[in-house]
Parts: sequence; C-alpha cells; structure tokens
Amino acid sequence: MQPSIDVTAPPTTGGPSRRIFWIIPLALLGLPFFLNDYTQYIVNLILVYVLVGVGFNIVLGNLGQLAFANAAFYGIGAYATAILLYHYKVPLLLAIAAGSIAGGLAGALVCLPVLRGIRSFYLAIITLAFGELMRWVYINAETWTLGSMGLHVPRPVLFGWVLATEKQKFYLFLVIVTLIIAATSNLLRSRVGRAFMAIRDNELAAASMGVPTALYMVLAFAWSGFVVGTAGALYAVLVRQVSPEAFNLLELIVHFGIVVVGGLGSLAGSIVGAVALTMAPELLRDLPGYEELMIALMMILVLLFLPGGLATLLERATSLFRQTYYRD
Amino acid sequence: MLAQLLVSGVSQGALYALVALAMTVIYRATTVINFGHGDLVMAGAFVVYLLVVLAGAPFLISALLAVVLLFAFGVAVYKGLIRPIMAGPHLALAMMAVAVGYALRGLARVVWGREVLPFPKVLPQGTFMVGPVILAPSDLIVTGSVIATVAILAIVFYATRLGKTAQAVFQSERGAALVGINVSAFQGTMWGIGAAMAALGGILIAPVTLLYPDLAASTLIRAFAAMTLGGFGSFLGAAVGGMLLGLSELLVGAYISSKLIDITAYLIIIGVLLIRPSGLFGRQAVVRV
Repeated sequence: MQPSIDVTAPPTTGGPSRRIFWIIPLALLGLPFFLNDYTQYIVNLILVYVLVGVGFNIVLGNLGQLAFANAAFYGIGAYATAILLYHYKVPLLLAIAAGSIAGGLAGALVCLPVLRGIRSFYLAIITLAFGELMRWVYINAETWTLGSMGLHVPRPVLFGWVLATEKQKFYLFLVIVTLIIAATSNLLRSRVGRAFMAIRDNELAAASMGVPTALYMVLAFAWSGFVVGTAGALYAVLVRQVSPEAFNLLELIVHFGIVVVGGLGSLAGSIVGAVALTMAPELLRDLPGYEELMIALMMILVLLFLPGGLATLLERATSLFRQTYYRD
Repeated sequence: MLAQLLVSGVSQGALYALVALAMTVIYRATTVINFGHGDLVMAGAFVVYLLVVLAGAPFLISALLAVVLLFAFGVAVYKGLIRPIMAGPHLALAMMAVAVGYALRGLARVVWGREVLPFPKVLPQGTFMVGPVILAPSDLIVTGSVIATVAILAIVFYATRLGKTAQAVFQSERGAALVGINVSAFQGTMWGIGAAMAALGGILIAPVTLLYPDLAASTLIRAFAAMTLGGFGSFLGAAVGGMLLGLSELLVGAYISSKLIDITAYLIIIGVLLIRPSGLFGRQAVVRV
C-alpha cells in the first residue's frame, strides 16, 4: 500500500495523446537539408540552450527555489567534458556522460544550503557566490583548465567517425536533447514532479502531508544540474573552446531570461524561450549593446503583460501544449 | 605595514558600505533585493563620464546632475515596472530588477562598445604622510563622503518624520496605508534615494578602478557580501559589513595570497550564510520546515 498525494485524475477527455510529441524530433531530422553551416550552428546552439532552459526551470519554476547556480552547472559540465577529451582522450559519449554527472553532483552540492534552511534572496545570493567562486576555480586550476586561456577541445569522434560538420553534430545533439526532454517530462508528470510543485506552493503543507521535502529537493537540484551539465558538455563539443568568461554573470542572466520569457514551470516554455533568446542576439550580434537591450525588453514585457511567459500563448493557441500533471 | 593596510582597507570598505547601504534602503522600503543595483552604480559613473569627457562639464556639476538623474530614474523604475507587479511573487520582482539592470548595461554598451575606459582624474592626486602611513586625498574624500552619507541616512531614518514612515511601512505596508501613509509615493522616493546613492557610489568608485560595463557584477557581489556579513536589512550592518569586507580583502591579499582577494567576498557570503545566516546585526533568516 502506497500513500498517495494524487488528486483524483479527471476522466480522460479523449485529447490527443502525448505520443504525438515524438513527431517534433522526427520532423527535425530533415532540418539540416535546408540549412547552411552557419545557420546549422545556430540551431545546434539553440539545442544546447533548450537543455539549459529545461534544467534551470526545474529548480526555478517547478521547485520554486531562487537558486542562481545555473551558469556554474553549465560550466562544470563543459569543463568536465573538455578536460576528459583534451587531457585523457576519453571516448566522446563517455565524456558527455561525465559532464552530465558532474553537473548533477554540483546540483546536489548546491542543494546543501537549501537543506540548511536558506531560501529566497539568501539562496539567490549564496548560489551567485558559488557560481563566481567556480569561475575563480576555472581560472586558477591551470593544470586542468589552462587558466583564462581556456581549453581547446579536439575534434569530436563518435565510434571512430569524426564529427567534422555542424550537421553531423546536430544529429548527435538531437538524440541527446530529445531523450532528456522526454525523461524530464515524464519525471515532472510523475509523483516526483507533483511533489516538486507541492513544495513550491507550500513547503510546510507538503511536509505535513508526508512529502519528504529534503529528499525531493536534492533530487530536483541534482536533476537540474544533470540536465544543465549535459548542456555544458554539448556546448564544449559544439564550440570546442571552453574558457572561464563563458560562464559569468551575464551568461546566467541569459539563462534566467530564457526561463522568464519562456514561462516559469513550463517545459514547452523553456524550449520556446531558448529559441527566442538564442536567435535574437545572433540577429543583432553586429550591434554591441542591442542584444542586451533586446533580452531585457523581452523580460520586462513578459513580466508586465504575460506573467506565464510565451508558454501562455502556446497554450492559448492549441490545447496540445496544456500541461497535465496526471496520467491520462 | 599593518597601519597602512588598515587605512587603505577602510577607504576601500567605505565604498562597499555605500553601495550596500543603498541596497538596504531599497530593501527596507520595499522588501525587494535590487539585483540590478550594480548596473545603477555603473550608470551613475557613466553619466558623469559622458558629461565630463564628452560635454566638457565641470566635475561637481556633472556629479550632481548624475545623482539627480538617477534619482528620477529610480522613481520611474519603481512607478512603471516594480509597483505593477509588487503583489506578485518575489521571483518576478527579482527578475524585473535583473532585467532593468541588464537594459542599463545594454544602453551603456550601445554608446560605449566593449572598451575599458580610464575615468578622468577628477579627485586631487598625490599623497602625503601621516606618521608611517601614506594617505591620498582621494581616499579621504571618498571616506568622508561615505561617512557624511551614513550620517545623513541615520538622521533621516531615526530623527525625522520620513524615518517614522519608513519604520511603519517596513513593519506593515497595509497598516501604514490604513493610517494614511501614501505607501506608493514613499516607496517611489526610497527607490529614488537608493538609485541616487548608487550613482554616488559609482562616481566615487570609478576613479579608483576603471570604468567598464562589467563593473556592475563585481560591485553587486561585494555589496551582497557586505549586507550578508552585517545582516540583511540592517543599516548599521551594511556599513560595518562593507568596512570589514574592505579590510579583510586587503589583509587576505597581504598576508595569505593576492589570488584570494577576488574570492574573499564569495567566501564571506558562503561562510556567513552557512554558519550564521542572520549576520552580525540581522534578523532570523532561516526557514525551518
């Protein structure tokens, strides 16, 4: 007998099955035929930022904790992968997995102050400090990271097959990103995901209903770190240059913007937010300052007029994207 | 050697204290932590730079203009962007503050590009000796302005009607509104004062360091460290915390390793929040479930 925190599931409405979402990655398989090398690179970058948004949103939107260590998870994943590829010539998939796991461990570590009872702005500040501390570590652990020069990652090789072009990388990224999004989606719709939201809405009430809040918080942080760590690993493979400046406070603001503009606590929102915030700066990259203005403007407009983010628009347009947190 | 370090540490710490105090003013008035505060500091310095270097205005007038301009900006941000979402979650307020700061940085970049600019030498140069200690007039001016600001704040908050209003609003916004205090106007003024103090901080910091759009990030984290060390929401705490941070940075740099100067602030934040989250003079900051 398991105690259950489920609300009774409403009768199935006969709505479209979630399986149709697999159409999206399948359709994307044809995308490289329409792109040149540069636009393909942007698409790959969008895939990386999709994971960044999805991972950050778990802690910010679903668990409701103001933890700003996302750039640190991203950097730790990227450095773990880059170090293994550069110094130890580890096989590609193993190096990426190591990046994910390093990110997950960092997530669990960042959860420690939460378990000490630090919340809200205090948590924001201590996690900001952690992120900046990590940047100091990247600069000073020169034996592994080569300091502020950064690491140059060798050409990725998958099972003896060199991933020379952006299109080849795209297929690898698409598979990894799809698997992680599917896993996250299932996690958030399960008992675990509902526990995250119970903690977000009222921690005391959740605890008194018998939800082991500490356990679920560690789980949420670790999974968030795992997803963002994977993003970092893919970033290292994509850009092939990992240096401390890529993980500073400004990078964190972009991550934050993706979640805000996309929609707090919405998986589809993180994806849309990543697309919007990766493409806008690329379009404006020749004009210094305008990408910051553009991102800030998007955030301000969303906060004032669309508190649910772009996800609200998606949900209004079609019921397909409405999230259900029960099995139907 | 030690006396010299103490003197330099205090003048450095005074700057941190000023920025931390400005954030405390906003926090006390509206319970919002302004995550964009570093950018306000940068904006203050930037306005002075534009006026002095490009328009050739005298320094004092430029500084005054910058402070007034930032005051108006602070009020406008509160009225236009913060007030409408005050009822929402903390997260949205933090995001709005970040977005405003990011916009300011973008604006500076549009004019500025990615350069690092030497700030004009607006403060008197040279040094003189007092016993074994070398003093620079600029240090004295900086420390003096900070002490003056703290004194004015103390008088305003503890001896005037505005101070009583502040106490009332901080204790209960609704209660204050019920006895006829115009909470919205009060909070707008406080945002203005916070922004004006940030501008003052920027004007005093920029001649010491260099001026560049990323000045904001390091300033913000140091102000956080000062507030955390002193205790959130405490004026005395922010002032003392800033001084202690300035001192410890110099002492750590001199006696342990200069590599550690950059992370003293981060270590202080992490250590204080893990061991004694209420800081030196703060209130209970921990949630127990």
